[in-house]
Amino acid sequence: MLPAAVPSRQHTVQPMVTGTSVLGIVYDKGVLLAADTLLSYGSMAKAQNIPRLHAVEKTVIGASGEYSDFQRILEILKAKALEETTTSVMDSLYTEESGMTAENTWNYLRMLLYSRRSKFNPFWNELLVAGKDLKGKPFLGSVDKIGTTVRDNFIATGFGAYLAMPLLREKWRPDLTEGEARALLEDCMKILFFRDCRASPRIQLAKCADDEVLVSEPYELDTAAAWQAEAYRQSVGELEDDGGW
Amino acid sequence: MGTLMASTEESSVVATTSLPIEHRFSPYDFNGGTVAAVSGPDYVVVAADTRLSSGYEIKSRNVTKLHALTDKCILASAGCKTDVDQLRSVLDIRGKMYQYNHRKPMNTPSVAQMLSVTLYGKRFFPYYAFNVLAGIDAQGVGAVYSYDAIGSFERTQYSAAGSGQAYVIPFLDNVIGNRNRLEEKPILTATEVVELLKDAFLSAGERDIYTGDQVEIMVVTRDGIQTQTFALKAD
Repeated sequence: MLPAAVPSRQHTVQPMVTGTSVLGIVYDKGVLLAADTLLSYGSMAKAQNIPRLHAVEKTVIGASGEYSDFQRILEILKAKALEETTTSVMDSLYTEESGMTAENTWNYLRMLLYSRRSKFNPFWNELLVAGKDLKGKPFLGSVDKIGTTVRDNFIATGFGAYLAMPLLREKWRPDLTEGEARALLEDCMKILFFRDCRASPRIQLAKCADDEVLVSEPYELDTAAAWQAEAYRQSVGELEDDGGW
Repeated sequence: MGTLMASTEESSVVATTSLPIEHRFSPYDFNGGTVAAVSGPDYVVVAADTRLSSGYEIKSRNVTKLHALTDKCILASAGCKTDVDQLRSVLDIRGKMYQYNHRKPMNTPSVAQMLSVTLYGKRFFPYYAFNVLAGIDAQGVGAVYSYDAIGSFERTQYSAAGSGQAYVIPFLDNVIGNRNRLEEKPILTATEVVELLKDAFLSAGERDIYTGDQVEIMVVTRDGIQTQTFALKAD
């Protein structure tokens, strides 16, 4: 028990309620994001139907890591979007109809996360930002908790970086259709469910294409067939050749 | 943590002494990569790989480590990318202010000094950036400056920094610096230097896990900057 006089720690030292991977992929007409809807409290599955992909104006942001920090970041971004639409500023960015694009939001988030890390009190997240870039082309970028930014055609945070990225790297083409991109992401989400013990099969997708931003309701992946794989039904040693999982 | 074990035939005694473990958030990450630059009588060649790593993960195979601060001066940086990005933003702003105040862009030796004071300004919470500055100086001669993380700098004929530094510098010592060679030191053209740097990066990419994917090479002359890329192994 702590003695009464000891002050509480004010700086983040470890995340408590967390979300796992977020995946993103650029396809021919836009960007698709996917994430499961599980919040974990260490090894406990604390909440199983929580969206981790959110739309703010024309941008979709997905977060892995500490969920309360994501909630705070969304508050800040919503306040910024409101400020934009309700104040007049002598700046072409604000007087143009397009307002803040995803690329602007990405840069803003980078500044936010870098300044918090420089005070040793980070937002403990890895964020994916999707939408359009300054030139109107599909945009997908990530920012991590120390402000490292990466812009690419496919990005995965958390465990997805190890399990999903190899698949995304292999299968990505610049002319992927929406159906192909969705199938690829769902395949990656299945694999994450099987191998990441903080993942669930209940997922959510988000799409930024043309001028629309859509975030889907959560739905369950169909993993029934996969559980029937030989490797799960027979024990090691009975399989031909393989002898493995 | 230390473990003391004494075992006899009948029993085994294990005594463990452990030091307290402190968990602490680190504001830095090492994102790897190698940069190098070689200067000549009227040119400077600067090269950098394009891989961004974090731990054993490759975050991207196509991120540049080169940043033109003026049209005659390029900053090549390896280390922690978020600090490198911040450093570039700060230098861009200071360079712009200089240009507004003096009605001319900064020349390379001035940029070199500015980089040094900018780095030292964060002496007690450094930018984790290992820099090589390459440019054409006021006389039109190629210049290379190498830095440590807190701003100590020196003008040299050639330099390298980053995770593959130890593979590149000895090679450049022999081939550019003519060390341990009996022939007279040759004067190389920019094209010859580009080929030598490609070899240097091939070697570094072979042995350094953080170096690979592509090399971006920029040649700076008084006429401007020309860029080319060269593929490396992706393993």
